[in-house]
Amino acid sequence: MNFLDIVFYVFAAITVFAAMGVITSRNPVNAALFLVLAFCSSAGIWMLLEAEFLAIVLVLVYVGAVMVLFLFVVMMLDINLVRLREGFWRWFPFGAGLAGLMVFEMIYVLGARQTSDTVHAIVHPADYSNTKELGRLLYTDYVYPFELAAVLLLVAMVAAIALTLRRRAGVKTQNISEQVQVQAGDRVRIVKQMSAEGTGSATRK
Amino acid sequence: MEKIKYYFKTFLLVELLKGLALTGRYMFARKITVQFPEEKTPQGYRFRGLHALRRYANGEERCIGCKLCEAVCPALAIKIEVAERDDGTRRTTQYDIDLTKCIFCGFCEESCPVDAIVETRIFEYHGEKKGDLYYTKPMLLAVGDKYEAQIAQDRADDAKYR
Amino acid sequence: MMELLLSLEQAGQNLLGVFWLPLWTLVKIMVIVGPLMGAVAYLTLAERKVIGWMQIRIGPNRVGPLGLLQPLADGLKLLMKEIIIPAGSNKFLFVLGPVIALMPALAAWAVVPFNAELVLSNANAGLLYILAMTSLGVYGVIIAGWASNSKYAFLGALRSAAQIVSYEIAMGFALVCVLMAAQSMNLGDIVHGQQGRYGALNWYFIPLFPMFLVYFISGVAEANRAPFDVAEGESEIVAGFHVEYSGMAFALFFLAEYANMILIAFLTSIMFLGGWLSPVPFLPDSIVWIFAKVFFVLFLFLWFRATFPRYRYDQLMRLGWKVFIPLSIVWVVVVGAWMQTPLWVW
Repeated sequence: MNFLDIVFYVFAAITVFAAMGVITSRNPVNAALFLVLAFCSSAGIWMLLEAEFLAIVLVLVYVGAVMVLFLFVVMMLDINLVRLREGFWRWFPFGAGLAGLMVFEMIYVLGARQTSDTVHAIVHPADYSNTKELGRLLYTDYVYPFELAAVLLLVAMVAAIALTLRRRAGVKTQNISEQVQVQAGDRVRIVKQMSAEGTGSATRK
Repeated sequence: MEKIKYYFKTFLLVELLKGLALTGRYMFARKITVQFPEEKTPQGYRFRGLHALRRYANGEERCIGCKLCEAVCPALAIKIEVAERDDGTRRTTQYDIDLTKCIFCGFCEESCPVDAIVETRIFEYHGEKKGDLYYTKPMLLAVGDKYEAQIAQDRADDAKYR
Repeated sequence: MMELLLSLEQAGQNLLGVFWLPLWTLVKIMVIVGPLMGAVAYLTLAERKVIGWMQIRIGPNRVGPLGLLQPLADGLKLLMKEIIIPAGSNKFLFVLGPVIALMPALAAWAVVPFNAELVLSNANAGLLYILAMTSLGVYGVIIAGWASNSKYAFLGALRSAAQIVSYEIAMGFALVCVLMAAQSMNLGDIVHGQQGRYGALNWYFIPLFPMFLVYFISGVAEANRAPFDVAEGESEIVAGFHVEYSGMAFALFFLAEYANMILIAFLTSIMFLGGWLSPVPFLPDSIVWIFAKVFFVLFLFLWFRATFPRYRYDQLMRLGWKVFIPLSIVWVVVVGAWMQTPLWVW
């Protein structure tokens, strides 16, 4: 048991604990925060596998952006636990069946690899860059799937905006770009006023 | 043309730089801070600070307990009880000012027919316990006794404008 | 010096075996974090002094000569104060909030190089790591705001979370331009990429000037500094997310904010201002230069605070989404095209 093994077991234990927390905690905000912890510790495990790009991107994208927005929504929800639980037992057999199926699939996929000998990662030289390697693969062998996925995401984004953007008539809103483009000259007119001791009549410039 | 000029101004952050230049200049301007305990700003003779009850030159207290100040006080900070003294004159038995309520408007001073209650130039007073700033009659008289010269001088200076 | 360190390392290795590596790393971390905390303390003093001067005041000058002991007095005062945990708050998260706020602000220093050799971890993905760590900072704000069980704190947290997430995107794209120019995500290599015969003219702030502005302004927003301090907004939502905090818990938020400022200043110097490289060719490169640049950038932070009024929230979001993000995406394409031509001399 060397140092890396200890680190791995620590991270694995935290991940499992956090994952349990996600499904057992009653408060949805707590559950979301547990999910953040699970992401962070699995990023640690990926780091151990020298997949530093994936690990950091997991933290950057999921923890730093997606979960923040998630928390945002969850914090503002008014969740009624009693109503949520109403259909629990009715749907329980279905849920349990799905869970069983997933467990079976995982055992099938991961178990096969566990038993084979290639489980240990290849030791790379010191200047090996996981990021460079990934980039090269993405833009050569997998360039079409990659671009396709990108277009798909773009379509999803445009669709989401199109579905939620509503322009109602008769609503007073501020036009921010108009406000920002206002210059001093548009609002203030400097008037030159003669003093009372002069001609007595004010002249405007 | 105007529009192009405007866009250049926006993207080159001209207005922001102007603002920065202004504050940058002020950084080297002569500082106007008055370093309080060592330096003090000049006070006028109408300065309204800590209250005092005055006496006549013969040592008799001025206040006759008319309660005008109590009536005019907008913050209800003054409390007065009145009784007849042995020599038959009307005097206060209690004259309290709660300085935590007082807003230092000077109405009490204006309303007083005998110039008994006045506001002095003192503003550096404090209380360490709850109730320290509840000034009773002896305390107010003590303030008046201590600073009578200054108080009288200030009244005299102000008299010609009244 | 180097030999002494090497022999020390050898001796430790023999003495402690497996535990030497964590222990030695811990010592190195302390060597970075200790001075950093000192710098944070004196940055607060510098801020009060500089803003004072700009408002033609003289700033704090009572504690010690020229007020130099003021940060210590402030720290002592905050340490003595009671930490009040509001009723109805989530106690665990309430205490965790300030810790989470400070943690990423310190963790990001792991990959920040001070000169060619002086870096805790010479990570290949240093730039990504920095981005990931700074993106974690928002959790301190969210957790603190939510756990306080107060509407001002909650509003401040929501505003800040939206702001930080939006500006992070523009910041990320600005850094994409840098890594394209440097062809590396290692911060040390990024500085080396700016080395050249013409001193300051070789630095990336010239070809990437719009990105330099975008990065720095987003950095100001990311660190929740004026004029983007809507999270704190002391004049509208009474200090926002940390309104319920007192004593040392409150101080931690300030440590985090100032540590973030110093971090952004370091990163700006490294990415765009040539790090420890000398601005003129006839002077040698040295660690002094990076500190001088950081000092200048930090001064800009203070100068901004003394000059600009706070952005209104919707205008702030407009600036992030409708100005910075399109601008930075366009500049990524421009830099990409530019680099294919012989005109790219950096």
